[in-house]
Amino acid sequence: MSCDELLRRLTEFAEGALPPNLCEEIRSHLKDCSPCSELDRDLADLARLCRECDPPKLPADLRQRLEERIRAWTTRG
Amino acid sequence: MDPGGAAPETSRREALSKALLEEGDRLYALALRVTRDPDLAADAVQEAFATALERESGFRGESSLATWLHRIVFTKAIDLLRRRGREGPLPEDDPEARPPQGGDMGRAPSWARPPDALLLGKETRVALEKALGALTPAQRAIFELKEAEGRPTEEVAAILGMPPGTVRVHLHRARLKLRSLLGEHFRRGRT
Repeated sequence: MSCDELLRRLTEFAEGALPPNLCEEIRSHLKDCSPCSELDRDLADLARLCRECDPPKLPADLRQRLEERIRAWTTRG
Repeated sequence: MDPGGAAPETSRREALSKALLEEGDRLYALALRVTRDPDLAADAVQEAFATALERESGFRGESSLATWLHRIVFTKAIDLLRRRGREGPLPEDDPEARPPQGGDMGRAPSWARPPDALLLGKETRVALEKALGALTPAQRAIFELKEAEGRPTEEVAAILGMPPGTVRVHLHRARLKLRSLLGEHFRRGRT
């Protein structure tokens, strides 16, 4: 497998969307190719960075307005 | 309970109100990721709640209630962005947030294993937010739902109304673009 083909397939590989033979080719390539393994590691770091970021919260005033709206809706006849 | 099935109307309503309240933070996070504007995100969520309440009887249970709500929020957020597009430039038109032109994103220089203090530091989070402006709204939505929330691709595809393969293509491009843009941040951080 070439570096370009691996590049195209890397997200599908991470998603488990490729057949076993292609997965094995990718694993083998990553083991032997420093630039591609660095790319793979960077993408793993990017995923980690995203998971570590605090998710935004619904602003309190907006949550209150929405709760009032839902309460009125659920209690109407 | 399936709120779209033969359950009594009151049960359907309870299920919807519960889902709206439980999913509130995630719905807002999606709207904020798409619009990159807290006011627009709040408007998108409010409009989506109104639509969900109006169309509650139209929910048929083909997807989960949470997926249905996310789809409404995504549609509202995109609509609001389009409306704003007629009034002025979108936030991602910031030229500083654009990716390098003509380069091969996959062959951008490596991050070279940034230490955790740099990788997870506040400045990197700020840089990530800025870099997200270089993505399309759909790429940002996919990035939020996949990378931040870890949702299955099939669920993200149902929310965005596109095939799973297209979701993977968008995610791939988004990841490579962000890697390229954040690489510049990490190189500066080491000097």
